[in-house]
Amino acid sequence: MQTKTPKLSLKSYLDFATLLRSYRGDHEQNRIFALTHKSFVTDPIRRLLLWGKEHRFKVSFSSDTDHYLKHLSVITSFLALFALIFGFLVGLGLLSYSGEAPVNVIYYLFVAAFLPLLSLFLSLLSMMSKGMFFHFFTLLFPLHWIEKLLELIPRQHKNVMVEIPPNLLKWMFLDRLQRFSLLFSMGLLMALLGVVVVKDIAFGWSSTLNVSAEEFHALLQMIALPWQAWIPSAVPSLELVEMSHYFRLGEHLNSEMIHHADKLGAWWKFLAMSTLVYAVLLRLLFWLLVRYGYRKVLQKSFLGLEGVETILREFDTPFVSTESPKEEQHLEIVPETNEQVSEDIRTTYHDVLGWNFSDEEILLANDSKEIRAKKLFSVGGSHTFTEDEAIAHQVTQTLLLYVKSWEPPTMDFVDFLEMLIENEKVTSIEIYPLGTVGRYYESDEKDIAVWKRKIQGLKSKKVWVIDA
Amino acid sequence: MRSREYEYPKFAVVGHPNKGKSSIVSSLALDDSVQIGDTPGTTQVKRGFPLTVDGKIVYELFDTPGFQRARRVLAWLKAQEPVSADKRGDLLRAFIQVHRDDPKFHDEIELLEPIVEGAGIIYVVDASKPYGPEYEVEMEILRWSGQPSMAILNLIGNEDYRDQWKRALGHYFRLVRTFNPITATFSDHMSLLESMAQLKEEWTQPIKVAIGILNDLHQQKVEQSVDAIVENMQRTLTYVYAKEIHTDKASKEEEEEAKEAYRQQIVRYEEELEREIELIWNHRSIEKVENVLVFEEVGLFSKESASIFGLSQNELIITGASAGAMGGLGLDLMLGGGSLFLGSIIGGAVGGVGAMLGFDNLYEVKILGQKFGKRELTIGPMKNLNFPYILLGRALYHTSVIAKRSHALRDQVKLEDEALYTEQVIDGETRKKLEALHVKLRRGEEPSEALLASYRKVVLRSFLSLLR
Repeated sequence: MQTKTPKLSLKSYLDFATLLRSYRGDHEQNRIFALTHKSFVTDPIRRLLLWGKEHRFKVSFSSDTDHYLKHLSVITSFLALFALIFGFLVGLGLLSYSGEAPVNVIYYLFVAAFLPLLSLFLSLLSMMSKGMFFHFFTLLFPLHWIEKLLELIPRQHKNVMVEIPPNLLKWMFLDRLQRFSLLFSMGLLMALLGVVVVKDIAFGWSSTLNVSAEEFHALLQMIALPWQAWIPSAVPSLELVEMSHYFRLGEHLNSEMIHHADKLGAWWKFLAMSTLVYAVLLRLLFWLLVRYGYRKVLQKSFLGLEGVETILREFDTPFVSTESPKEEQHLEIVPETNEQVSEDIRTTYHDVLGWNFSDEEILLANDSKEIRAKKLFSVGGSHTFTEDEAIAHQVTQTLLLYVKSWEPPTMDFVDFLEMLIENEKVTSIEIYPLGTVGRYYESDEKDIAVWKRKIQGLKSKKVWVIDA
Repeated sequence: MRSREYEYPKFAVVGHPNKGKSSIVSSLALDDSVQIGDTPGTTQVKRGFPLTVDGKIVYELFDTPGFQRARRVLAWLKAQEPVSADKRGDLLRAFIQVHRDDPKFHDEIELLEPIVEGAGIIYVVDASKPYGPEYEVEMEILRWSGQPSMAILNLIGNEDYRDQWKRALGHYFRLVRTFNPITATFSDHMSLLESMAQLKEEWTQPIKVAIGILNDLHQQKVEQSVDAIVENMQRTLTYVYAKEIHTDKASKEEEEEAKEAYRQQIVRYEEELEREIELIWNHRSIEKVENVLVFEEVGLFSKESASIFGLSQNELIITGASAGAMGGLGLDLMLGGGSLFLGSIIGGAVGGVGAMLGFDNLYEVKILGQKFGKRELTIGPMKNLNFPYILLGRALYHTSVIAKRSHALRDQVKLEDEALYTEQVIDGETRKKLEALHVKLRRGEEPSEALLASYRKVVLRSFLSLLR
């Protein structure tokens, strides 16, 4: 099955952040995903997006993201249209010609070349600055204040905003700023071309400053540098500059200007090229640069989302497990009581047996505990079951059975004990758990507890555990 | 995620009941879910613990019930037609087939089954108790299997009968090793695996691979722990609690309530970190006894160094002054020493005075004006200069205890002996290196990646020194 290649966008970023808030998988699941999806091994972003796509169904996505994006799109479209119309209207305003005074090209150049360059410079500073400095530069953009006002209206996207880091927000803002500026400039250009087509405009230039026609011409030559080689007609000549210089002296225009009125319209090509180069093309280039920067920041923000680092590490780290796939069958442990427990020990028994004790060890224990008995029997250990069976039938009356306290009762011992219980000639069986000789037969409490629990489980009134 | 396509080494951990088989498996398998008890028969069925890497089994350990009726098994084997040594394994297989439905031999079948299927034998004895000939029956049965085998001397108690055991076990096993699952370190674990690799030529390579995998896994856990600690430091030290208020000034109750909410969040962050660390080290069912992080003046923040991990005021002044001087030195170097090292002197003085003043401050309580006359009461970030060291010290101490803790332990983790680690956790030199990040976080500034990396390096070094 062909999987459609996912791409990183603001929507996929927000959706992924929402997914991470409630699901991140575990190491085993993420490693399985990585092993079964070998594509994009070298592209972590696409790999993560594919992972997000596969697990998207695991969370019910709130409509917050969609609301936010819709809201953003509406604001953007509205402001884009506004910028275009505003640019067009500004253009019309700048080029309004009543026939009394020529249109001052300096006004127009100020809006079409100087302001865009200033705005580009501010954007550049914003791009390179961060934190407090960025906010300072942002405050200089009128768009920032327009957006602030518009953002007060809908409140649904409040949660989504949390997901967008400030740096990414900055680049989103810069991106939109370039788009709107571009549209504004296009509106300006459209107004210029439209007005030139439908009206006969006389352009001139005038300044309070003492600027000579030669100096102004030199400045214009500089402005026209990018296109003067291939569109020389769009570069005003010194003659044109001289003849379009006017002074607002009373209400009358220079007679020279009136005489060459038909030539004054030649400025439009220069103005159109200035708008095209400085306001449109330069802005377009800058916008592409900002788009590139925005994509890089979006990628960085995406990879910086909480949980992403872990998931990527889990993709690339072999999953090692040491656990058992089989559930443990837990044993219910019944606590011991004092039932069938004796704290006293007799001095005389009919028979003394030693489970896993040799005859010598039994004698030594008897001496130590001052116990006398008619017969001694070594059972368990290296004796066979048949030998023990014979002894179990042979013993009578009161029995003392030494056991090693640290060795818990095995079923082999229980089998032997049951044979003793079944022997009707035996009246009582006292089990004496002894500690090691090194500890003078002293036993640990926990070892005695094991013996008590086992014997109490047999429910025989004949058998006692000595806890002396 | 598991495959059984190739023959990987298997090891059955067998022995008398209650000799620490499950503890050894629990320790080697890094799994604290294994039931361990004093009562014989705690392990009722065999349980495999495969070491898998991306689903591929590298080796498998089997925890088995202890021998219960060993004498009867050996009696049955001896009662069969005499067979040559190479056919004795078949007799064991026959025993399992004949007695599969006999509940009397349930435990023997469970423990012998993996052996007849090719598992190596790890025979466990308690060498803190004397050797007894009753063990020879079990060893004889295991010898009949013809499988490669080794014995582990586990010292459960305080006495030491290892020499006695070694003399006896040497007759039955090629290798005899001491391994205490309760106190075993990671390198003990690796040494035991190396011994297991010697049991059969074909197993040497896979076990070497396993050792490499476990070493990598250990390293990963160390790295993950350090990441978790550093992340927690960042989120805790930058945490700000905010609450909307509707009056110009917060009431005493509102302020107290907000302070309590702030403190609870800090404690919650620490609990989350501890849980994360325990999961990283595979301790899922730990019970802890520890001192709670307290905020009262008389508690961890008292000048009389009531805090074990925090610094006394004098130490803080030295740390602050050193950090300030380092900053000043940077400036001096930029000026090529032209400042006559005034930067270092002033920086040191400012840092030291700052530390003096900052000792008693816990956190700032602010009232911030908001849009449309709304106000916010905010608490944080933590201003107390001592706090980061307390937090980091506690985190490192907890993590080192958990990392070193054997999975065979079932008792409570005691984290009250913090004093033992005072000097080991954060020494004077380390504090100076850490302070740079603490200063940034206190100011709510985003630390640079280089600063975070150097902080992480210091934390890693402190943690590794605790693991030794």
